[in-house]
Amino acid sequence: MLAQQLVNGILLGATYALFALGFTLMFGVLRVINLVYGFYFTAGAFVALWLTQAGFPLVLALPAAAVGAGAIAVVLDAVLLTRLRRTKADELSSLMVTLGAVLALYAGMAAWLGPDIRRLRPGLVGSGALDLWGLRVTVAQLLILAASGVLVGALLWLVRGTRLGLAIRAMAEKPDAAALMGINTAGLAATVSFISGALAGAGGVLIGLNFNAIHPYMGEQMMLRGFVVVIVGGLGDIFGALLAGLLLGVVEVLTAGYLASGLKEAVGFAILVAVLWTRPAGLFGRTDVRRA
Amino acid sequence: MAAWLGDLYWTYQNVVVALGVNGLLALSMYVVLAAGQLSLGQAAFMGLGAYSSALMTLTLGWPFWIVLPASCVAPVAFALAVGGPTLRLSGVYLAIATIGLGEVLRAVYLNVDALGGALGLSGIPEQASPGVIFAVLAAALAVLWLVGRSGTGRAMEALREDATAAQAMGIDVGRVRLAVLVASAVLAGLAGALSAHATDFIGPNDFGFEPAVTILSFALLGGIGSPFGPVLGAWVLTLLPEVFRGFADLRLVLDGLVIVLAVLFLPRGLLAWRMPRKAA
Amino acid sequence: MLRRRIALAAAVLAMLAVPAHAGDPVPVGAVEILSGPNAAYGIAIKAGLDLALEAVNAKGVLGGRPLSLTVEDSGGTKDGAINAVRKLIGRDKVAAIIGPTLSNEMFAAGPVANGRGVPIIGTSTTAKGITDIGPFVFRTSLPEADVIPVTLKKAIARGVKTIALLYANDDAFSKSGFDSMKAAAEAAGLSIVAIDSFGSKDTDFSAQLTKIKSLKPDAVAISALVEPVSGVLLQARQLGFGKETLFIGGNGSNSPKLGQIAGAAADGLIVGSPWFVAKPDKLNTAFVAAFRAKYGKDPDQFAAQAYDTLLILAEAIDRAGDADPTKIRDALLKTDHTGPLGPFRFTDHRDPASTEGVVVLEMRGGAFGIAQ
Repeated sequence: MLAQQLVNGILLGATYALFALGFTLMFGVLRVINLVYGFYFTAGAFVALWLTQAGFPLVLALPAAAVGAGAIAVVLDAVLLTRLRRTKADELSSLMVTLGAVLALYAGMAAWLGPDIRRLRPGLVGSGALDLWGLRVTVAQLLILAASGVLVGALLWLVRGTRLGLAIRAMAEKPDAAALMGINTAGLAATVSFISGALAGAGGVLIGLNFNAIHPYMGEQMMLRGFVVVIVGGLGDIFGALLAGLLLGVVEVLTAGYLASGLKEAVGFAILVAVLWTRPAGLFGRTDVRRA
Repeated sequence: MAAWLGDLYWTYQNVVVALGVNGLLALSMYVVLAAGQLSLGQAAFMGLGAYSSALMTLTLGWPFWIVLPASCVAPVAFALAVGGPTLRLSGVYLAIATIGLGEVLRAVYLNVDALGGALGLSGIPEQASPGVIFAVLAAALAVLWLVGRSGTGRAMEALREDATAAQAMGIDVGRVRLAVLVASAVLAGLAGALSAHATDFIGPNDFGFEPAVTILSFALLGGIGSPFGPVLGAWVLTLLPEVFRGFADLRLVLDGLVIVLAVLFLPRGLLAWRMPRKAA
Repeated sequence: MLRRRIALAAAVLAMLAVPAHAGDPVPVGAVEILSGPNAAYGIAIKAGLDLALEAVNAKGVLGGRPLSLTVEDSGGTKDGAINAVRKLIGRDKVAAIIGPTLSNEMFAAGPVANGRGVPIIGTSTTAKGITDIGPFVFRTSLPEADVIPVTLKKAIARGVKTIALLYANDDAFSKSGFDSMKAAAEAAGLSIVAIDSFGSKDTDFSAQLTKIKSLKPDAVAISALVEPVSGVLLQARQLGFGKETLFIGGNGSNSPKLGQIAGAAADGLIVGSPWFVAKPDKLNTAFVAAFRAKYGKDPDQFAAQAYDTLLILAEAIDRAGDADPTKIRDALLKTDHTGPLGPFRFTDHRDPASTEGVVVLEMRGGAFGIAQ
């Protein structure tokens, strides 16, 4: 049973890591805890839901959902945060704005579409489970695991190994200096918003596929886990988010499997508070993405 | 009192109670914001006050005039535990830690049988009359008004405008921040005790994330120039859904929009009036 | 022209001069969730009430007075339910109230009506302790504690000896249902091998299910609303639960939505129900036909319970001989009614007296039928 539980934990943790990637990138570069991020996640899942209902295959619906969520992210980011960035408002102002916005967006969406859970058309990916040496995993779970790994690698390459990454790191370090050196910081902020939003959207589709449950508040529920992952992993630390996501998943599953299932949700927050007390820069010690 | 007037009052008594309780909650958010911090744990502090006071009444049988002040103990203890380590860090950490506090407490309420689990605690005697609630609100307003005009009030404002400069001026930043968080826990704890003793029943889902955000919208709508602003904001947002029936679906949309618009366009709030101060 | 106007005025005056009682409507109220996440329940209940109101007002109560029904929205919140009850009693002066929808709302709003001496009748509140609120609080919904033993009897007849219990620990309905399951399983002599919980908005149940699977119970009983139950069943099949495990649902599973969401994964689940759409007796078939004619779809158990409850209330008002809340309360205690739910009486403690009407249903091919 322990082997299966560890597999359950890693697969669950992969969903948390996948969710948190764009969130931590956004903080690392734009210095904003953007709570609307959870809405991009919901939006991506709904775009894929509607496209697959209209008969499009998943290989088309997934990238379309990512692009759609990215576009929404660019627009919302511009509407909500441009003004604050111009006036150099503090982190708390942007936190409050995105908090209010995401609450209104979830509630508006629930009022418009109804709060019911929707399901993707069966048979998009093999819905049955595979039996690997006695361990049961589904195709969707393997997709998520692969996607998390690939996306972490791609993000690290983008930030460290490309000219865009150089500009992003410059902006994360000192936005004013970057602007003076001729980097178009407004355009770069939009690019980073797009990448984050697209990551959120893709995560929404894959996680919606895995749990087969799509509803307006799905981003809000993930967001609470997302806080834990990005704080424990270190705000802005991409690799840290992957490790922290997997850790959280395994700890939650082991708590539910061997201690008490009622404590499953609380254990993550207990870790969060403990990390804030002792190692506020994150469990893995690297202060943030500026050194990603 | 004429019978129809009595009926009218009875009909809206719960709304009157909500005005008083929400006014106190808005003040509890105000004191934190006034010192440049953000806590999303106000609902959690309220829940601690509500649960601890309900237990004191139901199982210990203490009289209400002891229960009410004692209801501040648990919220203050948690404020110290969460606030102490996080206040050194930038404001976002306190905000996130207080969200975490709310979720951990919810799990505790749900899993401890003595706290009723999902069934909550019911049969709490209705000992908090609207008179008591508004007396507490008035006292809180008066204290905050006096503090706001004093040196402490100036220190809080300096902290809000520029923490580094405030420190350079000799203000003990950590201490003011912790004091402010404790004061806000007291106010929220009182609000919780009063509300528990006005409505018979409390449940674990009354003190989650969404109430915390609603409390923030009270304070931001009213503005933090003076303690009267947040109370006004709370009253407006409490009455609106009563005036427009069938509004439940859109209440949270409104609360959220209020926050967005207030931060972006009305940084001083609806009541953009700053209290007069004595010269230093 | 002038003469006609005078005639009209005289007619109006004559109408106004009618003695205050004879044709006056008797005001009753209902508090249901008509907006927000749980609106589906309240809307079903309102449909049942509206249909029953037509039936009652075909002849009226107290010698021809119509019943006027005011339905207030609680939004599913405790404050919403309290405000609605206060409004109905203080402003609309209702003689009795039906609702609220959720047990938690009743725990908050019931004491208000009880304190004012106005009968309040829950049609969908199954939690333990509802009628302990006070002497004016009634319910027509069978508490889970009465339904579950019937379901477990069926399971034992199929050879179940060991059972695992799984429930949503964050809503009153599911928790209370679990408490009843546990008590009933112990009373029936079943051996409980595991007790696990989850949050009603969770989507991942793999840890709990893996643990339960390793203990190999004959049956798994789930107390939760229909959405999480569907999620549990879907994931259980993925983790390899097969036909050897009997799934048992609580009242939350008793919804056609289970088949729609979980599909084949729900096949074989059994659940006890106070009512079933295809129950063949005359009163029920007439009710179902009338409901289909008015709304173009099948009623669910919430609509059926609400329909019967308004009929029970109307009969009580007639027996009371007066629209006085205390007299109505006393008359309610003497209820002897037969409707779509079957024969109905209240116990002295104002709960439903009989479990005769309970049928055990089994999910087959995405729809419920009578369990064999």
